[in-house]
Amino acid sequence: MAVSGFEGFEKRLELHFFGDDPVRDNNMGLRLLEFESLDEVLHAVQCTVVSALGNQYLDAYVLSESSLFVYPTKIIIKTCGTTQLLKSIRPLVRLANLMGFDLVGCKYTRGSFIFPLSQPFPHTSFKEEVIYIENCLPACLAYRKASIMLSKLSPSHAWHVFTASDHDDHRLSALDCLSSSSYTVEVCMTELDRTLANKIFRRPGDGKSGDAAGREMTEITGIGGINPNALICDFAFDPCGYSMNGMHGDKYSTIHVTPEEGYSYASFECVGSMYNREDDVVEVLKKVAQVFRPGAMSVAISCRSSIPRDVWTRVTNGLETLGLTCRSCTMDYFPAAGTIVFQTFTSRGK
Amino acid sequence: MAEEGQVISCHTVEAWEEQLQKGNESKKLMVIDFTASWCGPCRFIAPFLSELAKKLPHVTFLKVDVDELKSVAADWAVEAMPTFMFVKEGNIVDKVVGAKKDELQQTVTKHMAAA
Repeated sequence: MAVSGFEGFEKRLELHFFGDDPVRDNNMGLRLLEFESLDEVLHAVQCTVVSALGNQYLDAYVLSESSLFVYPTKIIIKTCGTTQLLKSIRPLVRLANLMGFDLVGCKYTRGSFIFPLSQPFPHTSFKEEVIYIENCLPACLAYRKASIMLSKLSPSHAWHVFTASDHDDHRLSALDCLSSSSYTVEVCMTELDRTLANKIFRRPGDGKSGDAAGREMTEITGIGGINPNALICDFAFDPCGYSMNGMHGDKYSTIHVTPEEGYSYASFECVGSMYNREDDVVEVLKKVAQVFRPGAMSVAISCRSSIPRDVWTRVTNGLETLGLTCRSCTMDYFPAAGTIVFQTFTSRGK
Repeated sequence: MAEEGQVISCHTVEAWEEQLQKGNESKKLMVIDFTASWCGPCRFIAPFLSELAKKLPHVTFLKVDVDELKSVAADWAVEAMPTFMFVKEGNIVDKVVGAKKDELQQTVTKHMAAA
């Protein structure tokens, strides 16, 4: 492992809002936030918009350090490196309030930093992060939980989770029931296959824009084949690094790659529906593992409703066929997020 | 001419067809921005597009709101915004889907040059 390098592991924040008059504004809600206001928030977090795409359901932004997704009543922001993601909470809540939206749920997740000592306050420890977030939340978010889901991998490949909700999820509202079968899967991979990683370096003097080079990387790495139906916004950074957002109906997917040897990292995240046959989480995870061939991989699946046991056993069996052995499997329940299953895998070949 | 150097908004099907016709006859490259008022990415790239239009008076820049001109957006199979269509002499020569500054710039340059 290198002494220091770019931190690929992201911090992810998901904020849920409720508006007293959802039908107003064509149901577009937070999508109507002034771009200048969003840009100011991103500036506070030390990142900028690189490219963006929107459809009838959501706006997706590729950032200099990961991604931002804006739905009418939900904002998801994921940043890597040494960005101070939590600084976005107060301004986002304030902007939403001005539009008549209140914060009703918050979820913060991250893996374990490769270079924890390089992180600025409050990311110096999970405890500091939780204290910071709690200070930003309105008191009505009374149901809160912070937990570190452990694995047997060393050094640590743990999953840090903090969630807060204004209600006990055992009483799902009518609106929630419709979306309660929807899941989010967050995958973190390290020790990437070197052949794949080498494709994430720009060729000097290729004369291509970051957008065009990104598109080429999507094709030559096989990333484009993970969800061939998605509309993709991709970007290749100079001298190396890759980001993409995929959009398919109301669902997004996102991939970020740090290819340098010694601290290589790739993340994959997508949403799907538990009961939609097309959204087979196991098939997607297998495709992801086949593209990146990581030495270690963690998978966190979260779903508002319970996650059937067969989901994680199928994930284990599916990844096993690709030479990835399951090292740990833990499950916990969190307000706002629901059930989270966290599994870690290591490659037998490494 | 008053319109040069600006992004021209088409608010009716008639205005749209008139602009298309004018463009085809003039043999100028036309860049059509399919946009929506509720789409953040469109607002992100709007200033950049205006700058491009200002700098390139020999290229015609049109703007179509997908809610105002639903039929046009459907005819041109616009699924996501912003979508930039490049038209020359009645033919679609290229397309950029997404608010991508460099790609937009490069694509305009590419088709502007091929006279």
